[in-house]
Amino acid sequence: MSLLNMVMLTDIFGGLKLTLTHAGRPADTVEYPERAKEPSERFRGMFKLDEERCIKCTLCAIECPINIIYIDWHSEKNEEGKSVKVLDRFDVDMKRCMFCGLCEDACPTNPKSIWLKTKTYELSTYERNEALYLDIVKLTSWDSNVKPFTPRPEK
Amino acid sequence: MSESILYYGVIPAIKAVVIVLVMATAAGVLTLFERRLLALLQVRKGPNRVGWEGSLQWVADTFKLLFKEDIVPAKADKVVHYLAPLFIIIPAMTVFAVLPWGPEVSFFGIKTPLYAMDVNIGLLFVLAVTTIGIYGVILAGWSSNSKYSLIGGLRSAAQLISYEVPMGFAVAAIIVMGQTLSLVEIIEAQKRMGLWFIFPGLVAFFLYFVSGVAETNRTPFDLPEAESELVAGFHTEYSGFKWSMFFLSEYANMVTVSAIATTLFFGGWLRPFPNVAFLSFLDFIPPIIWFLLKVSFFMFVYIWFRGTFPRYRFDQLMALGWKFLIPLSLGNIVLVAIAALWGKTGLTVLGTILTIAFAAGIFLAFRVPPKRLTVIEKSRPTEVPA
Repeated sequence: MSLLNMVMLTDIFGGLKLTLTHAGRPADTVEYPERAKEPSERFRGMFKLDEERCIKCTLCAIECPINIIYIDWHSEKNEEGKSVKVLDRFDVDMKRCMFCGLCEDACPTNPKSIWLKTKTYELSTYERNEALYLDIVKLTSWDSNVKPFTPRPEK
Repeated sequence: MSESILYYGVIPAIKAVVIVLVMATAAGVLTLFERRLLALLQVRKGPNRVGWEGSLQWVADTFKLLFKEDIVPAKADKVVHYLAPLFIIIPAMTVFAVLPWGPEVSFFGIKTPLYAMDVNIGLLFVLAVTTIGIYGVILAGWSSNSKYSLIGGLRSAAQLISYEVPMGFAVAAIIVMGQTLSLVEIIEAQKRMGLWFIFPGLVAFFLYFVSGVAETNRTPFDLPEAESELVAGFHTEYSGFKWSMFFLSEYANMVTVSAIATTLFFGGWLRPFPNVAFLSFLDFIPPIIWFLLKVSFFMFVYIWFRGTFPRYRFDQLMALGWKFLIPLSLGNIVLVAIAALWGKTGLTVLGTILTIAFAAGIFLAFRVPPKRLTVIEKSRPTEVPA
């Protein structure tokens, strides 16, 4: 039978048949600006910081392999007379970030106070030095600076 | 006197202008057709932003091409680099002079056939002129002073030599059947016999179309271009208007091969079964539409091939040409010549036998599922020693 298959070009005609049967199917394309697929659960996107949860341990800055996290803090007495740490500065130089996620791994709080699993990847800007250098105001009031990811389902 | 000026001067000039303009536009529309159809076959969308569902994409592409900078490599042979696109576009357009688009019609009381001229050696003319186009490819490859281009040009030359032979033999089988070289008379012969030449020429059609795809440098024989290996092959160093000449000629050649296949094997402008009376209601579709429908079908097959097959390796290409197509074409021409001794009867019998054999072969080949490869399973040890 293999001779007959060879003579009748079964593989050629079979291939042609296969593409033709695929022809009617709806396209798999997701047309990006209008629609967007939601990234996977462990996707590393834009930073987000919760100042309330942060214990100012600076472990994230220590762990960062390219040292793009800058943290300054000072002690203050609160109403009860206890000394608490207050953040002066929490900057992330996003334009150099490689999204390794080690800062998130290093964070000792539970839940994490700095995390990357925001799923936001729409980070293109016109001026990267300003827009991708995040200070504490930008990191915490995040929604007003960076558009949060909104899944846009297919039709 | 004014009659002869009208019939030998004005009308051919009008036809020439119309053919060139229509083909230049059709090549643009065909790019859109190709991209959308490929997208359909490959389960994606294709261009759908410019105009309604991308219908104006080809206009945008045309303007982009025409306004692009014309770059000539520093050490290129300037004159040949300039002439190569002309070498390829002029033959591609010249062939359209003899393609028979339709029978005689009358416009404003002037009776004229829907082709520029009926050359009595039309088929030879087509073979000869399309072959000149390869000079353009080779010269473009050589003059660019680029290794990619040169390899593309040389591959094209080798491919042409290999595939012109089976194509010539396939066409020779049709000449034997029709007893003429004129394209119009071949259609007339098919009408006289009431038999499309595809039936006795099934093998010839296969040979012709495969060689035609190879000669127009289309997938799966697009080795001279070979994006993944040679950037763009012979037209790597071209841009702008000159590049669009290559593009135009590629589509023009595709139309030529499709139109010749239609003329030789599928009865040109004839409706199906031209002598069967009870099918005469099909005559309400004018002959030129029949012709265009058939040509469109072959254009679709071209794109279908491109959406289906990967590219041949160069030695596979040569092996297919020399070891398979040429012996097959020689056998075919003997078979057809013997059948043609008995004229229409012989051709009908041959056509019937070939059609039945083909149908039975396809049926049997697809009834039994192709054997799976068992070599790997046999070589694998069944039990792992402890």
